[in-house]
Amino acid sequence: MAALLRPACWLLRAAAAPYLPLSLRLLAGGPGRPHAALCLRAARARPAAGGLLSQARLRSIAAEKKNYLQEEPASSHRRNASQFDWALMRLDNSVRRTGRIPKTLLQKVFDNTCHSGSPGGNQALLLLRSCGSLLPELKLSERTEFAHKIWDELQKLGTVYDVSHYNALLKVYLQNEHKFSPTDFLAKMEKGNIQPNRVTYQRLIAAYCNMGDIEGASTILGFMKTKDLPVTEAVFSALVTGHARSGDMENAENILTVMKEAGIEPGPDTYLALLNAYAEKGDIDHVKQTLEKVEKSDLYLMDRDLLQIILSFSKAGYPQYVPEILEKITYERRYIPDIMNLILLLVTEKLEDTALQILLACPISREGSLNDFGSFFLRHCVTMNTPAEKLKDYCTKLKEAQLHMSPVQFTLQCALVTQKFDLAKVLMKALKEEGFPIRTHYFWPLLVGHQKEKNVQGIVEVLKGMHEIGVTPDQETYVNYVFPSFDSIKSVRAILQENGCPHDDNVFSQAELRSKAVNGNLDYILSFLESNTLPFSFASLRGSLILGFRRSMNINLWSKITELLYKDGRYCQEPPGPTEAVGYFLYNLIDSMSDSEVQAKEERLRQYFHQLKEMNIKIPENIYRGIRNLLDSYHVPELIKDVNILVEREKTDSRKTSQPSLSDLESKLEKLKAENQPIRDILKQLILMLCSEENMQKALELKAKYESDMVVGGYAALINLCCRHDNAEDALNLKREFDRLDSSAVLDTGKYVRLVKVLGKHGKLQDAINILKEMKEKDVLIKDATVLSFFHILNGAALRGETETVKQLHEAIVTLGLAKPSTTLSSPLVTLYLEKDDLPAALESAINCYEKYKILPRIHDVLCKLIEKGETELIQKAMDFVSQEQGEMTMLYDLFFAFLQTGNYKEAKKIIETPGIRARPTRLQWFCDRCIANNQVETLEKLVELTQKLFECDRDQLYYSLLKLYKVNGDWQKADAVWNKMQEENIIPREKTLRLLAEILRNNNQEVPFDVPELWYEEEKDSPTSLPSPVEVNLQKELLNACHRRRNKDAFNIFLTAKKQNIVFDNEAYARLINLLLMKDNSTQAMQVKDFAETHIKGFTLNDAANSLLIITQVRRDYLKDALTTLKTALDLDQIPSRLAVTRLIQACALKGDIESIHDIQKLVNGLEDSIGLSRMVFINNIALAQIKNNNIDVAIESIENMLTSENQTVDPQYFGLAYLFRKVIEGQLESALEKISIMAERLANQFAVYKPVTDLFLQLVDSGKVDDARALLQRCGAIAEQIPIFLVFCVRNSQRSGKAPVMKSLLELIPELIDKEEAYTCLMKSYVFDNDVASAKALYESLTAKNVKLNDLCLKRYAVLLKNAGESVPFTEPPESFEFYAKQLKESKETHL
Amino acid sequence: MAASAARGAMALRTNIGRPVAFVRKIPWTAASSELREHFAQFGHVRKCTVPFDKETGFHKGMGWIHFSSEEELHNALQQENHVIDGVKVNIFLYREFSVYQLNRSEV
Repeated sequence: MAALLRPACWLLRAAAAPYLPLSLRLLAGGPGRPHAALCLRAARARPAAGGLLSQARLRSIAAEKKNYLQEEPASSHRRNASQFDWALMRLDNSVRRTGRIPKTLLQKVFDNTCHSGSPGGNQALLLLRSCGSLLPELKLSERTEFAHKIWDELQKLGTVYDVSHYNALLKVYLQNEHKFSPTDFLAKMEKGNIQPNRVTYQRLIAAYCNMGDIEGASTILGFMKTKDLPVTEAVFSALVTGHARSGDMENAENILTVMKEAGIEPGPDTYLALLNAYAEKGDIDHVKQTLEKVEKSDLYLMDRDLLQIILSFSKAGYPQYVPEILEKITYERRYIPDIMNLILLLVTEKLEDTALQILLACPISREGSLNDFGSFFLRHCVTMNTPAEKLKDYCTKLKEAQLHMSPVQFTLQCALVTQKFDLAKVLMKALKEEGFPIRTHYFWPLLVGHQKEKNVQGIVEVLKGMHEIGVTPDQETYVNYVFPSFDSIKSVRAILQENGCPHDDNVFSQAELRSKAVNGNLDYILSFLESNTLPFSFASLRGSLILGFRRSMNINLWSKITELLYKDGRYCQEPPGPTEAVGYFLYNLIDSMSDSEVQAKEERLRQYFHQLKEMNIKIPENIYRGIRNLLDSYHVPELIKDVNILVEREKTDSRKTSQPSLSDLESKLEKLKAENQPIRDILKQLILMLCSEENMQKALELKAKYESDMVVGGYAALINLCCRHDNAEDALNLKREFDRLDSSAVLDTGKYVRLVKVLGKHGKLQDAINILKEMKEKDVLIKDATVLSFFHILNGAALRGETETVKQLHEAIVTLGLAKPSTTLSSPLVTLYLEKDDLPAALESAINCYEKYKILPRIHDVLCKLIEKGETELIQKAMDFVSQEQGEMTMLYDLFFAFLQTGNYKEAKKIIETPGIRARPTRLQWFCDRCIANNQVETLEKLVELTQKLFECDRDQLYYSLLKLYKVNGDWQKADAVWNKMQEENIIPREKTLRLLAEILRNNNQEVPFDVPELWYEEEKDSPTSLPSPVEVNLQKELLNACHRRRNKDAFNIFLTAKKQNIVFDNEAYARLINLLLMKDNSTQAMQVKDFAETHIKGFTLNDAANSLLIITQVRRDYLKDALTTLKTALDLDQIPSRLAVTRLIQACALKGDIESIHDIQKLVNGLEDSIGLSRMVFINNIALAQIKNNNIDVAIESIENMLTSENQTVDPQYFGLAYLFRKVIEGQLESALEKISIMAERLANQFAVYKPVTDLFLQLVDSGKVDDARALLQRCGAIAEQIPIFLVFCVRNSQRSGKAPVMKSLLELIPELIDKEEAYTCLMKSYVFDNDVASAKALYESLTAKNVKLNDLCLKRYAVLLKNAGESVPFTEPPESFEFYAKQLKESKETHL
Repeated sequence: MAASAARGAMALRTNIGRPVAFVRKIPWTAASSELREHFAQFGHVRKCTVPFDKETGFHKGMGWIHFSSEEELHNALQQENHVIDGVKVNIFLYREFSVYQLNRSEV
């Protein structure tokens, strides 16, 4: 029902309303019905369906607008109209759903209306009208008070009242049974120069009648007659009430006859007046008689009318007759809100027993109901202070009637919300008796209430109550809800003792400890832990300790506490023991800090770790790795070595006993040296090993000792090690030595950057700048990650406040052109001063940046700080500058965002309302994204709110952002509110917005109140498939034909023709066409077909082959995200994509460095590897490659090494083929990666006897023509030559491709003994034949015959054919049979050998 | 480019894949220990949080259950009805990502 709308419509056109306002009329109670019976009947006859709504609403809005055009200046019309709509919508929603308006809502709409400045007449009307029976939860007197408040307030704000307002006020008086003097009221109207109309008189008559004053009513009636105003049914109904209330029932009954004589048939309203009159007298017999009479007539009474009679009986003190009327109620669904409102009203009137009676009579479905009915009743009872014992009884009855599953719990919740402690206590005791547990957190709402007022006594009472009920306060209770109200914890203890409030000492002490920890009071914690005698678990303390550590900067205390926990038997001696516990604690500590926090506290953390080392505290290696990864991601790798010193070595060593130890290598080195043999390799190996163990001291000593044998790789590793150890001095010296060794040698980018960082940090600015210069000169590859590192270097220095470092390095980086002076890169120049709170300098620096580079870094942050500090002059300066340089609009936006960010919404509002300002989508989006990223809900809400009237503002986009944020927070209520707000603003949402909204609602198991946009074809899809026409059949045949003949162009044209004619083929036809197009690499067309098929055939999907082809095509076109989606789709359909497709996709992702996608794929195909035919190495190779692409070479290497050296190997080392990785690294000329990989492969071979990687590497070097490198590798690692089986596989594979003869030749040159193998020379011959290399083939044949090797027939046959084709003679008898024959023969002979 | 990369890197310290369930519509009578008790039947609950609103003393009906394995999480997700204190709660797979990380160093 358009409950409010229709009344609004009526009020606007008070004289000639077509409908009666049902909700108002029927809840009105008693007389006051202004309309003619004829109209009334028409209105009643209509079903109260939603269909009427739109019509009625249109009319009301039309009427309202018309009114406005007449009475308001045109300019403000639109704004007010929309505001009216908004208020109306909210109130209407409420009335429609529940038949009532909550007081808070009305108050809110009222406040908003006042806030808007000049409320229009319609709004005033709406508000006044809501103050009557729509507020059943308020006492009658309170409602009238509210109405008066609104009346006066709005008048003050300049609202002009007309007769409709006075009439509305009268109506409210009648509904609220407000006693007033009608003459005074008329005088008031006269004073306001308002002419009363018919409605006024009718209502005044009703007012007199309600008081039983027939004389008064008659006077007015006479007056009406002189004015020739018609007397309606409403007047007669009022007179019925009037006579009855004056005690004259006879005359009351007579009115009906009088009416008939006057030509007006008594309608239901008149009968209702009579019925109410009898009910007020407790005359059940007459009520029954009258009801029967009405039933026999063509009139009928609705549930609402009957409810009115019930109310009359109850209020007059005759509840005993209520059941008889209840019997007659039909309980139509649409009247449930009315019944609920009656129940509420009865509770308000303290007639809660009757209310319960009605509630219990409600025929609510009780089967399997997890839905509770009656909560509204219980809640209102609590609000109205219904006695506790009564409420307990109600709960029992509701539960017995199976209306409510947990009435006591619910009532308890209401009592807690409203802070009714005594009631809560009774209910808790009741719950306890029923066997329900009483939990500690039940008391928190009560404590919160007292906490807000710092009511110590109240808190003590609650604690006592807890004891009484047998609940012991826990730590959380004390820390969060008790302590904050007291000055000190000591005083809590004292006061509790004073008041005889028992407390568990153990719990209390723990709580105290936690509370101190949270405040950073580490002194207390230390002394407590030292003197404590209570049993305590470290785990229970961890969270608080971490907060405490972060809030105290006293590192000595950090260490002392850690030491105590580690060593003291009381704390973490039980398994898994102190090493684990403290390790885990350190991990959590760092994990809880943000990257900038760790950066800022780097020195302190280092100090802490070293102190722990001194104390001989150890942590397990796996936890160390976790910490290392954290530090890496925080961009503070310098701290890694400091954590490394804490690693528990014994265990690590015992695990790797097979590995040659340091001392082995050392003695080997000594030995070689003594024998005067070259030691370069072993020296490098040793240095690398020391580097990996972070043993800088020894590595440096070793270098000093054997300086002349140092190679470039060793220096590189050492430099890096020193950088990690923050050893600028040695790093610089090593770098110089490195340059002397080979001035053209280039370090990798990461090492350069680290050098710059360390040098900069130690004030060696000139050296740092020199390194930057060298980077430029040697043209070191600068990637995005490098620029990011530059930023971190500068930012770190800025956070440390090193002005010169930031300035000079920034200057050097920019002038050398290593990076562009972007906003990010330059932001440290401003950060520097912001951190020092030196706002003038910060602003100056930002302005400088603009002058130099045309960027304004961190201007938003600068402005925010200026605003916070109230630096008006500087703000003015900033604004003048921005305004002058970037235009006024930019300045206004800057200011707007800064005000928003700092919570100065009023100011923000003023800015955004500047005349002439218009929407700047990119800037608004920037701020939205920022809010989303920082989860600033309120700020974003304000942005959306304040930009409502912004010119050309894309409201939908802003709401979309808001929804995104709500989605992050899972806040569906607010999302739902956005939906309403968008309607209020009359925004037509885009489909994506609706989808997002639907998604949020669905995610939270809410109903989606609208149709989620589907594609338009849905409705059409059925029609074409039902009866295919001959044209369709023919076209489809043609299409299939074309597909069969692989004529893709024809086929596609047929598709286009059919599409034009709106002809839809079947699944199969599209699938074939798509396959064909994909095979012909025409993915655009294929996608076109796919899209068409998908939108026209429900559930159209591609088959395995097509999806695989699609993936390959998408990969080729570099649409990797799409390809991944396709793969997902295929797997979801239980398809098995082809190995090629999956491999291609993985490889493509690897080349992009997209590790995440590779992991995704790995998860997707998990368990299907064998069906697809994927080798395990695909993932290993490609993940490593991706890591290398991301410049995480060390990570890649480490994980490969781990796989090969750990005990539970997933892949046998023999099959651990890394050829693909090596090839890609070589192809990509990733020199530093290659160098490291080479080191790894050699290490694996030398230390772990795993030869497969090094051999693969060797072969790939050969394959890519790097024969010298391969030779060097072979010399370093002689065991490669023994890997004959690997070589043979390589040979066989290569011989199947053309152009590989040179590779095979090089291989044979390097490994001459290979020639003795039959497979090898056969393959070689095959290769020469492939490449038509007669000369080499001849040489091979000769060398073989010289060695007396007997060639097999297949080989001879090949050679013979080659010679013949070249026109040369064959020096032996050519084997007579075909190739196939000999191939088969060879195969068979091999099998028999086996 | 670099800026967006930096932000991306900071924003996406994703923990995707951690076995966490998100629970909604928790009745007010239940707190984390009740949740933990209920979900223990599906596996080892590493951590269970039901944040309370310190302004009201009530929780907001939401909670997070950290299981120790993906499998346990799926056991829990697969069960249709979860009733705690006689009230049906809703459970979802939780995709956690710490947007809070973003811009921390800048703001």
